[in-house]
This record gives sequence, structure tokens and C-alpha cells, in this order.
Amino acid sequence: MLRWLKILERFRRRDDAEVFRERLESFRSLLNGNNRVLELIADAGEKLGGEYVFDVQYLKTITADLEEAMHDVVYNLQAITGGRHPQLLDTVWRIAAEIRAAVDSRLVVPMGDLVIPLDRIDLELAEAVGDKMARLGEIKEHLGCRVPDGFVVSAYACQVFLEGAGIDPTAADDPADTPQELRRRVEEAPLPKELARGVRQAIKELEKRGGSGLLAVRSSALGEDGQTSFAGMYETMLGVAPEDALDAYRQVVASLYSDNVVAYRKLRGLPPAQGLMPVGFLTMIRAQAGGVAYSLDPARPDMDIIMVSASRGLGKTVVEGSAPVDTFELSRQPPHEVIERRIANKEMAYAADRRDGLQQVPVPVSERMAPAITDDQLQELAATTLMIERYMKRAQDIEWTVDSEGRLYIVQVRPLPIRAKARPGGRMVQEAVSKYPILLDGQGAVACRGIAYGRVHVVDDCASVDPPPRSVVVARTSTPRLAACLAEASAVITDVGTATGHLAAIARELRVPAIVDAGDATRVLETGWDVTVDAEENVVYRGRVDELLRYQLTKRSSFEERLEFRLLRRILHKIAPLHLVDPESPGFTAANCTTYHDIIRFAHEEAVRELIHGRWVRAPHTGPAVRRLLLDIPLDLVLIDLGGGLREIHGPGGAQVEDIRCAPLRALLDGLLSEGTWATEPADMDFDGFMASATRAGALTGPLATRPEQNLAILSDEYLHLNLKLGYHFNIVDCYLADQRNHNYIYFRFAGGVTEITRRSRRAVVLRKILESFDFVTEGTGDLVIGRIKKISRDEMVDRLQMVGRLIGFTRQLDIMLRDDSLVDRSVNLFLQKVYDESGN
Amino acid sequence: MSQHGEVLVLDDEPIVCERLMHHLEKNDFSVETFTESAKAVNRLAEKDFDVVVTDLKMRGPTGLEVLRYVRDHQPGTQVIIITGFASIDSMREAEYGGVFEFVPKPFQMERLTSLVKKATRKARKEHGKEKA
Repeated sequence: MLRWLKILERFRRRDDAEVFRERLESFRSLLNGNNRVLELIADAGEKLGGEYVFDVQYLKTITADLEEAMHDVVYNLQAITGGRHPQLLDTVWRIAAEIRAAVDSRLVVPMGDLVIPLDRIDLELAEAVGDKMARLGEIKEHLGCRVPDGFVVSAYACQVFLEGAGIDPTAADDPADTPQELRRRVEEAPLPKELARGVRQAIKELEKRGGSGLLAVRSSALGEDGQTSFAGMYETMLGVAPEDALDAYRQVVASLYSDNVVAYRKLRGLPPAQGLMPVGFLTMIRAQAGGVAYSLDPARPDMDIIMVSASRGLGKTVVEGSAPVDTFELSRQPPHEVIERRIANKEMAYAADRRDGLQQVPVPVSERMAPAITDDQLQELAATTLMIERYMKRAQDIEWTVDSEGRLYIVQVRPLPIRAKARPGGRMVQEAVSKYPILLDGQGAVACRGIAYGRVHVVDDCASVDPPPRSVVVARTSTPRLAACLAEASAVITDVGTATGHLAAIARELRVPAIVDAGDATRVLETGWDVTVDAEENVVYRGRVDELLRYQLTKRSSFEERLEFRLLRRILHKIAPLHLVDPESPGFTAANCTTYHDIIRFAHEEAVRELIHGRWVRAPHTGPAVRRLLLDIPLDLVLIDLGGGLREIHGPGGAQVEDIRCAPLRALLDGLLSEGTWATEPADMDFDGFMASATRAGALTGPLATRPEQNLAILSDEYLHLNLKLGYHFNIVDCYLADQRNHNYIYFRFAGGVTEITRRSRRAVVLRKILESFDFVTEGTGDLVIGRIKKISRDEMVDRLQMVGRLIGFTRQLDIMLRDDSLVDRSVNLFLQKVYDESGN
Repeated sequence: MSQHGEVLVLDDEPIVCERLMHHLEKNDFSVETFTESAKAVNRLAEKDFDVVVTDLKMRGPTGLEVLRYVRDHQPGTQVIIITGFASIDSMREAEYGGVFEFVPKPFQMERLTSLVKKATRKARKEHGKEKA
């Protein structure tokens, strides 16, 4: 009958039945392990949203659970492939060890680079580069703020240096050495060669990129500004010449042991020698003016003003408080009018140049009473300050510089402490909120905590998503298309979706307060309304609730600054990103797996390949596991049942559609076998010239008869992997359909085609448009299209799989239709109209 | 007295104390937090609280011992135990000792806030009885 089955026949004598069953069992365990890992990743992601209270114990538990599930996956893959991927065991072991080390010890010194360019730094690297530099990198990377070019000598480098100087920075006990002795050792110790070379090289590169030739060398100690605040107690050196950079480094590190710091450390019960000092080297800006901005008045946070102090030249005058400076009060409301200005008589200014280094110079008499900064610059500074405050979710203390061309630079960012007495109390908040109408209360789930004010913009699912900046974006579904406008949004609310979904993850990444699954937000909220979204209590108020907004800004510390939060974020970065997306690409190898997610994706794909191509798959065809599907259409499909995918059939022979218990295959076949989908009659399509396709489409069934081994489905009750070759079209569907959303996903891959390349790429456009209108995330090049969707409900899964079934049938006809670009949209609409008609809407 | 109640939070993990403090204060509870149970017990000897939220496993007196102390000295005060290690035995003992609720970690802030609200209502009713 069929060559494929004949081959099976041959192998039957070898009695592979036992091996086959064992490997199917391994495959099933691998799928379970996969699901478990995905579940744990989703769980950890959800905890990052801030609605949960967790401690370090949770991190330990989830780390151990993940490790166990990953071992399940990798060992089962080894069993299936006969031990082909031993390096994956190493990768899991390495990642697990890194995570455990991070969770177990509180003072983490990430091994690695000695010198790290600022471009590569964000908050993730706080433990390597210190809070100060991490924040500077973060606002450059995520907010696009202008900051000076520079690099950081890491905590790891500091550890290497200190150990060379005979100091153990992790020692818990009181060393006999006095602070003077510790400082002397640091100042006299030679820099390790590699470190000295790294710093010189980095300085050269700064100069190549057009630096001023002078450096600001800034302390960025671990824990500085954090829980134990040593703010302002460490050294910062301005106007350092490149040849003095290494000495400046030693001096800044030595300030770890200044009398003040050691005394303070003792007072807080910390070991005197404990601590590491990452050091930032930033290009000096040729300063026209400089100073400090507070996003709130710390003594009167209810005043709704921004405070700015400004001096001529470098902002050092302001920071030191050594001479009178200009002070301004600006409104926090755009366009940030200047409410009050006090211009001081500024006689001296700090300046730094190559010849004289840092020095004080007299300000020309005629300029002394002129404001140090223009109103335009003040307004830009105000807007930038508030942008940083919104992102950090706390009031901010910002050091700024305006260069000789009038460009604003941010040189330091830290949270602004607010005096306890000045903070609004709970009573005040409760009384205030009771005056505002509540629009939504406790509906759905908080996906990212925070409080935000903005104007509602309801997004239509079909229209392009383009709300004005700072909108409260309201949408029916958590479609991935919303992701594009999230960076500019002040909050996001959706009717459906989950706190573990794709959109929620992006909201957390961008720190945008998000409420999902709110039911009827699109009905209740109207475009243009002013609302305050409290994504802590899950309430939306009509109007602007200032007390609530201020409560958030003046809190003592933010959850995002906690070590536990950072650790979780770091753990997620080691486990959650998926780099291996396309199984057909040459990079899809075990060696390229760098995260747990990569590994499970790879393991799954390898296991499927082994099932399809491996020798052992040729199990006795009369056994219960392998059946041919009997259909009226020429789709020669062989089913391999992992368990629960088919009704029990006695004796040999094929399976009928009614025998299928595999939920995803049933749904897909519903679509594929629906009326008109498989038919190739041109009558359905009113495109002339389609007649040609009918004959060609007829011919497409030709190859099927001779190469039936291409069509294979691996199934269980909830899982389906489908490999279909229809003529020249290769379709792969891999999916999971269960009651629990977190397990559910569809991966759809399409490639190939008989027509010339332009028609094929038009077809790719059509497929992507159709998939996207069903909320798939798509990608692809040329004629390859990959569509993915996950974490949707059972009903949504069934709906999408039926659509995919239809789409597989539809693609057989597409090439011929797509004579020119204008037909792209018509084809999309034709398909959508058909789905719409038949679903009876 | 705070409108919504006086709460003592005891957990050796500062992050738990801090986050509960922020959230409960915003909801107009007056909150005192402790990371050492001996100090918390000293404070309980000085002052009546409506609700005590305590971790189970700590150095010094455990959550169950704190529960016993409260039962003996401030019978109206309600105790909520939060823990990452809920064993059947400890849950049974807590149940027997009159715990208001046993909450496994990690927990959702809203869930805990609503429990604290309920516990406060119960505590105020019982304090009322005591005074009557």
C-alpha cells in the first residue's frame, strides 16, 4: 500500500516495540517537564509585577523547582536521542549554579568584565557597576536621556584590586587594621596589569569618540543610596587628566575606608572593611551651567513644584553649597512654567580644562546677575526630571549640566528622600480617594503595579495603534500589537488577558502600570476622560487624584529597588528569554542554548525530530500507537499516539476522524475539512485567471502519493505536532491545548511554494496579516512565516486552530491569486470574511 | 487610633515588613514592623493591637509562640500567620491556637489587606465585648 508502512513492516521483526514505548514515555515526560518549566517562568514573571509579597525563600524554592524540571527535560531528551546532547546537562548545571550563587549570597560579585562601557549598562547590572552608574545607564538605554559618554571599572575589578592590596572585601569580621592603614594599602597598591590596560584602552576609545580629554571619576559603591545610604560620603573627582586616571581610581576606592564611612558602617553594625567600589569614568562636559533638580520639594511634597538650583560652570558649586546660586521653582504641570526665580550674584564658577585641571574662575561682572540657565533649558530639564521620576516611580534628585552648545546632560540620578512628616498619610489618601468617582474596582488582575494619571485612549482592535503619549491605553485584548505603544503610555488596561501573558511581561519590563482581564474596561472608559489608575489596589478613578500620585512618589523605598526584586529580575533574565526561534536556522543548536527557555525549546524540537526521523519510530504498525488517518481528501496523514490521542481501536486498520481524542487535532481538522477550504474550485474566488490554479492545485496532490512520510502527526490528548507537506508547501503546527491557559500555545510555521519569489513574499505578507489579526506574533523572511501565540483560553485556542486549519487549505490557492500587490489586502479580507461568515457571527 | 486598625507586622525578612507597611498605611492602618520576634513580643506587652501579622519560622520566639502569647495576654487581638513553610502540623497547631488565618508565601497584597480588614473588624467586636 504505502512505502512508509512497508518500511515499518521490515522493522517489525526487530521487535522495537519495547524501545518505542519507552521513548514515547520519555517524550511524554519531556512535554510535562516543558510545561512545568514554562509554568514556573510564568509564575516568576507574575511575581515581578509587584502584586505579590515574596522573600528570598521564594527565590530559593523556585530556583530548586526549575532546576529539577530542567533536569527532567534534559535527561528525557538524552533518553530519546540516545545521549546525543550531553552539553545541555552542562548548560543547565552552569545556569543553575549562577542562579544559586546569586540567591544564596547577599553580596554578589558578578565575575566578568573588569571594564564595562556605559552603553552596555542598565539596572540589571547594578551589582556589577553600582547603583549610581546603573541608573545612569538605565535612563540612557530606556528613556533616551543624554548622559556623558563613559565606562565603569566593575565591582569584580575592585575585588581583584583589593585582594592584591591584601584586603578581603567580603570579610565579615573586624580587621585589626585602622582606616588609615586600609587607605594606605589601597593608595600604594599597584593596579593589576590587565586592569590598568583595560582602563587606558577605554580612555583611548572615549577620546576617539570625541571626549573633552578630561574625566569625571565617580564613586558608584554597591548599596550606595540603597538600603544603607552612604550618599555623598565617597569621593568624586572632577577634571581628571587621562594620565592621572589610575591614581584617581585608587583615591576613589580608598574612600571606602574614610574615617566617616568606617564610623558610619560601625554605627549600622556592618563590618568595617566590607564593601566594593565600582568606579565610573565619565567624559567631562564643557559646562556652561550645572546644578541639581528635585522633582518635588522634599519639605512640601504637596506643592506640585520642581526645584532647580543652578550655577555658572560646573554644578559642583551647587553640590558643595560653597557659594550663592540661582534657584527656580517650576510647575510640575506642562509646560512647566517658572513660578519663582531667585537670581544670585555668582562671582565664581568651577571650570575644568586640559591645562589647569579643575579650578575656580571669576565670572565676568556683566554676567554675574544673569540667570545661569534659560527658561527653555529649565523647561527641558523639568520634563526630563519628571520622565525619570515616572519611570523610577519615586521622587528624584538629579544632577545636570548644560554644555557650551546649550545641550542638557544628566550626570547623576538618585531617589529623593522625603521627610516622614511631609509624607501624606493613609488617612489623607483614603479621604481624598473617597471624593472621586470609581470607574473600575477590583476587576481583573494587576499585571504591573504602580499609580498613574492620564487621558483614556480606547484602542480599536482592528485599527493601527497610535495613541498620544502619556495616554491610559484601553484595549479589548492584550494583543501583542499594543506593545509598540506601551513605552509612551502612562498605564494600560485590557478587557481580557492574563498577568502572565506577553503584554504583561512587556508592561513590567517598561514599568508601565497595567491591569488586565478587567472585563468591560473598553465599555466603561471613554476616550478623552481623565483618569487615575491605581494598579496597587486595582481601582480606576475618574479625574486626577493628586494625593494618590504623591503617595507613590514620596514612599520610603520602591519595591523595584529591593535586592529580592533585582534578584528575581536577574533570575528571569537567565531563564526566560528565547533566542532559538527558528528550528530551521543554522543557529538552532545545543551549543547556542543560553537560557532555560532556549533549552526546552531545543529539547522539544530535537525530540520531535527524533520521533519523525529516528530509526526507532518505525514501530509495529499494528500496535496501538501508529495509525493512518482515513480521510476523503488526499491528505495522507500518519498518527503517532503518545497516549490519549486516539480512541481505543481494536485490530489493524486506519483511524476515522471520530476516533481522534486529541483536542488540538480535532480543532485543526474542523477548519481544514470545513466546506470550501480544501476545494479548489475557482468559483469561490472571483479572481480571473484563477482557473490556472485549479489545474495546478490538482497536481499538488501528486507528490503526496509518493512521499507520504512527510505527513505525520504526533499527538496526545492535549498535544499535537503536525508535519504537513502539501505539494510544495511545508506546514508545521506544534501546539498544546488544555484547560490551563499557561500551558497553551500554537507554533505555526509555513514555507515553500511553486510560484516565483515575489508572489511567494506577497503570500508571506498575506499570511502574516491574517495571523496577526488573530493576535499571533509573527516573523519571517522571504517566503518563511512563523506565527506564535500562547497563554490563551481553551475556547480561543480552538478558534485559532480552526483558523490555522483553514489557512493551511487556503495557502494552497494563494500563490496563483497574488498577481500583484493590490491583491494582498483583498486576499486577507476574503479569508477573514469566510471565517467570519462560517463562524456565524 | 487609626481609622482602620492598629497592626503589628513581624517578619525577619525586611522586604515583607516594608511592603506590608507601605500597603497597609496607604489603606489607613497604623503599622509597626519588627524583624526580631523578641522585640515584637516586648512591644505586645506594652500595647494592644487589633491585628498581628507574623511569620512562622524565625530566630527567637516562633510565630506559634507569638500566637500563644497573644492568646494569653490580648485575647481580642487577631493573629494572621504568613509562612513559606506550611506543614500540616504547624497549621493544625495554629488552628488549635486560634489563628485568624494561615497564609502561605508568596501571597497577594490585596488578599492580605482584605484579611487584615476582616481581622480588625473581629478584633474590634471582641475588644468591645471585653470592655463591656
